[in-house]
Amino acid sequence: MEQNFTINYTHRQAGHCESGATSNLFNFYGYELSEPMAFGIGNGIYFSYIPFLKLQFAPMLSFRNFPNTVFHRTLKNLGIDGTVIKKFNDPKESMDALDRNLEKGIPTGVQVGVFNLTFFPPEYRMHYNMHNMVVFGKEGNMYHISDTVMEHPQMLSYDDLLRVRWAKGAFAPKGKMYWINGINKELDFRTAVDAGIKKTVYELTKIPFPLIGVKGIKWLAKDLKKWPKKIGNEKASFYLGQILRMAEDFGTGGAGFRYIYGAFLKESGEKFNNHELLAASDMMGKTANKWREFTYIGARNCKNRSQPQEDYGMLSDMLMEIANMEAQVYKKLETVKL
Amino acid sequence: MENETNPVYKDERYGQSRELFYFYEEGGKFEKKVGYHPDGSRIILQQAWDLFNERIEEAKQKALAGKVSPVVYYMEKTLVSPLDLSMHTGISLWRVKRHFKPRVFKRLNDKTLAKYAEVFKVSIDQLKNIE
Repeated sequence: MEQNFTINYTHRQAGHCESGATSNLFNFYGYELSEPMAFGIGNGIYFSYIPFLKLQFAPMLSFRNFPNTVFHRTLKNLGIDGTVIKKFNDPKESMDALDRNLEKGIPTGVQVGVFNLTFFPPEYRMHYNMHNMVVFGKEGNMYHISDTVMEHPQMLSYDDLLRVRWAKGAFAPKGKMYWINGINKELDFRTAVDAGIKKTVYELTKIPFPLIGVKGIKWLAKDLKKWPKKIGNEKASFYLGQILRMAEDFGTGGAGFRYIYGAFLKESGEKFNNHELLAASDMMGKTANKWREFTYIGARNCKNRSQPQEDYGMLSDMLMEIANMEAQVYKKLETVKL
Repeated sequence: MENETNPVYKDERYGQSRELFYFYEEGGKFEKKVGYHPDGSRIILQQAWDLFNERIEEAKQKALAGKVSPVVYYMEKTLVSPLDLSMHTGISLWRVKRHFKPRVFKRLNDKTLAKYAEVFKVSIDQLKNIE
């Protein structure tokens, strides 16, 4: 059976996969929501460091929130009706549900694993299951995909799409999909931004667990100092490389999403003419620049693995400084009144 | 910042796609630019892949010499850890680890081999004999 549905959907490249997808979905329904706004309102920013879990042979750490948080919380904070199907029992059923949606003309977001994504850049082919993209059409056996990491829309066959939607391993997507049911009201940004900032401040400074948020960065800084002695120069440099890759690559827009968050503070500050927010955005921008500086200095250590050019103690101090700078940003955000 | 030119990787397939990066300038201006990976990320990406390739090569030599079973080689090649492999195949971790021994691997039935072959995307013949 030949089925052709194409939806008039605009693909815009973005720094972060999920907030890019959310922003594009809003754009489809005729509401302008930039990527940083979606990221900020949906609490995208996060930090967690999990040394006892390994991702690609190095400690796991994350600069972003759990998958689907951005989409879910953006809708919740803006009070919009959307549907999230967390998991399917059967792969075939999940593809049928997707087809039905496309038939109705609804662009649908899906969570996928990147290892088997055929169009993905080969340097990123890792077992990372928290990637998001939007399916917006079907032609015969091929699906139209809008992946915000890529510059242009892509095509994917039925089998390939099924494989990536049912990728296995940690955080398996299990066919998860989500879409917006429709927007028919004015968006109230003031309360949404307020709610978004409050939740972010809580998540990054107040969660009583030492590996999450600003405390997590400090913990990492302390660990970083010990690595060369504990595991040897070779491995230490690889572990450091993992931090840097997580911060700078993997679709973060640079500096572990800190730039995007700064852009969000700036945009909302201009929207509500709030000087406090603008000041916070400036601080966040400086923190992000510091993160990038950290990446470049750290990368020198990775160049020559057995003989580090830079002292790990110095890098650790730098990370500590970053943690303190971030802590001040959140402290400032706590006092902001909208 | 190298933004417009494609930086040179050891592997030519890498770094072919342009991505979106954010920048911040003093004075409060956030900018979006689409470009290739800057120098710094190139080094760390290449470093990671160097290490993976080293591990794959090492596992291949060991498997060819008969010290470990081919499962180890294919596991490294698909970039998974034993725990991941157990999740992907649906075989419990301690059994997966047992299958690393050539002696145990030789006695495996086709049903179990097929599970591995599916994850590694090779045929059972290829699984048994590494080229």
